[in-house]
Amino acid sequence: MAYIAKRTASRLITFIVVISLLFFLARSAGTDPFERYLSEDPRIPPEQIQRLRAKFGLDKPLHMQYLDFIRNTLRGEFGFSLYYKRPVFDVVMERLPYTLFLLGISITVSTIVSYVVGIYFAFKRGTRIDVWGTNICMFIRSTPHFWLGMILLLVFAYYIPIFPLFGALTPGVQHENTYEFIKDILFHYTLPLTTLIARQIGMYVLYMRNSTVEVLGEDYMVTAKAKGVSKRSIMFKHAARNAMLPMVTVTAIRLGFMVNGAILTETVFSLPGTGRLIYQAIMNDDFFLLQGAFFIIAITVLLANLVADILCAWLDPRIKI
Amino acid sequence: MRINKFMKGVKSFASIYRRNKSGLLGLAILLFFIFTAIFAPILAPYDPYKRVDRPLIAPSQKYILGTNDIGQDIFSELIYGTRVSLTIGFMAAFFTVIIGTLIGVVSGFLGGVVDEVLMRFTDVVMILPSIPLMILLMALFGKQSFMIMILVLSIMGWTGTARLVRSSTLSIKERIYVEAARAIGAGDRHIITKHVLPNVSPLIMATMIYQVAGAMMAEAGLAFLGLGDPSHKSWGMILHYAETSGGWYANMGYPAWWWIIPPGLCVALTVASLVLIGQAMEEIINPRLRRR
Repeated sequence: MAYIAKRTASRLITFIVVISLLFFLARSAGTDPFERYLSEDPRIPPEQIQRLRAKFGLDKPLHMQYLDFIRNTLRGEFGFSLYYKRPVFDVVMERLPYTLFLLGISITVSTIVSYVVGIYFAFKRGTRIDVWGTNICMFIRSTPHFWLGMILLLVFAYYIPIFPLFGALTPGVQHENTYEFIKDILFHYTLPLTTLIARQIGMYVLYMRNSTVEVLGEDYMVTAKAKGVSKRSIMFKHAARNAMLPMVTVTAIRLGFMVNGAILTETVFSLPGTGRLIYQAIMNDDFFLLQGAFFIIAITVLLANLVADILCAWLDPRIKI
Repeated sequence: MRINKFMKGVKSFASIYRRNKSGLLGLAILLFFIFTAIFAPILAPYDPYKRVDRPLIAPSQKYILGTNDIGQDIFSELIYGTRVSLTIGFMAAFFTVIIGTLIGVVSGFLGGVVDEVLMRFTDVVMILPSIPLMILLMALFGKQSFMIMILVLSIMGWTGTARLVRSSTLSIKERIYVEAARAIGAGDRHIITKHVLPNVSPLIMATMIYQVAGAMMAEAGLAFLGLGDPSHKSWGMILHYAETSGGWYANMGYPAWWWIIPPGLCVALTVASLVLIGQAMEEIINPRLRRR
């Protein structure tokens, strides 16, 4: 319990550090929102701008503004989207489930697959399967997410028109029941999921393989072999379990990478998720939306990390000490 | 004397490196791209920023990779893009490594509160998704330029290097020759410049290669999202234009495969070659890996 409390506290501090940094960066870069968006318009008199500044608390001293900013952020008030003319929080929250769906499935599938395949390659190391397999993984992990997505679209939506070119649902279709709805969504998400999963597998099969190879060189493996433990048992009881740890500890960094991938993938496949929202915010020069979307994504990632920490503690009892 | 020693090091490095087939392949691919970047004005048949013909012409003898939606020659774009992508990658990696080494050495050498604070900060930057943060930083800087791209990539990229350098500084700090140096009255500065830095430098070289790959990948992503400098078209930006125009699959009734396949393939090949080189270097630095 103490461990979890400590971790939660540290994640909260992380978040406050991040928003503080961004606040001071934003202010020092001289981007007062009213300067930026209103002073260019000659129809608005300077007194009007002053009144607006006072209304939004921008005439207060910096440290008061900072406290306001923190208070608002913690309350989930991220401001108003200039493009959607709606609170940023609402706009982002509508899109978040799509991204979580994409991330959730791809992280689960890719973890299981890279785990199994990585161990398999490690046991077959030096054989043709291992050499080809690792080379293919190497190439896939070197391709940019968005390009992989574009190629999949080109092949499986254009030349061989199996999958749709864009969107999360068939436009204008009323789904009769939940089953139909899930079927439609999975159909639309096949290519995006493939993109993300392939990239992840390319990366973590190699990682898993190398960490298993390292475990195979340990003395206790020789002991196990010497005392006549069966190959299957060595593979699953000794190698797999110990090789899992480094994989779990990179989860935190992996989550960040996955979010990067999701942004690019959603952009390519025109999915209604948070990632594409960010892309649109860049295109529309919607700074508050950009900032709010980033904060909400950051909170999500930090929460996911907390879950990963708890999982880690559960898997490896040594952490609790 | 020192140059002799350095040359000897390079020679023994090269003789081990030569035995690594995939390392050599990586080096060959990278050199090919570097060559292309250097001789871009000679190699490119057209000006990549000028329209030369009708839009979306399929590859032909005149235009090896066809033209894009506004009639620019894609092959020339690709050749000049090599310059932009490689320059951004190498420069960002260079600054990244400097920041990372500085933080890593300070953190590992001083220890205590400084170490704690710096490492917590490193964790924060490492955990957060980098692309949205970089987008936000670029939005804060207010304009899109070549140098700002490099700056943002460097600000976000140093964490891995810092951690690696810190851990190897920690182990070097405890070695007997450092203790001996201390015993004869060497100061911190002497120990850092004469003992710690020379010993971590091979490691730094290997990380830098990986950093180039990472920076190029991140740059491709940001450029694809439309944050590149329009006057310096990189590979990622060619794909950005392809995406925003929608022309690569909707126009003319057939998809312009010649517009999207080559730039991504170039990114993938360069990144793969850098990873291969990095792995080969790691094997040399860490002989434990070589036996496997």
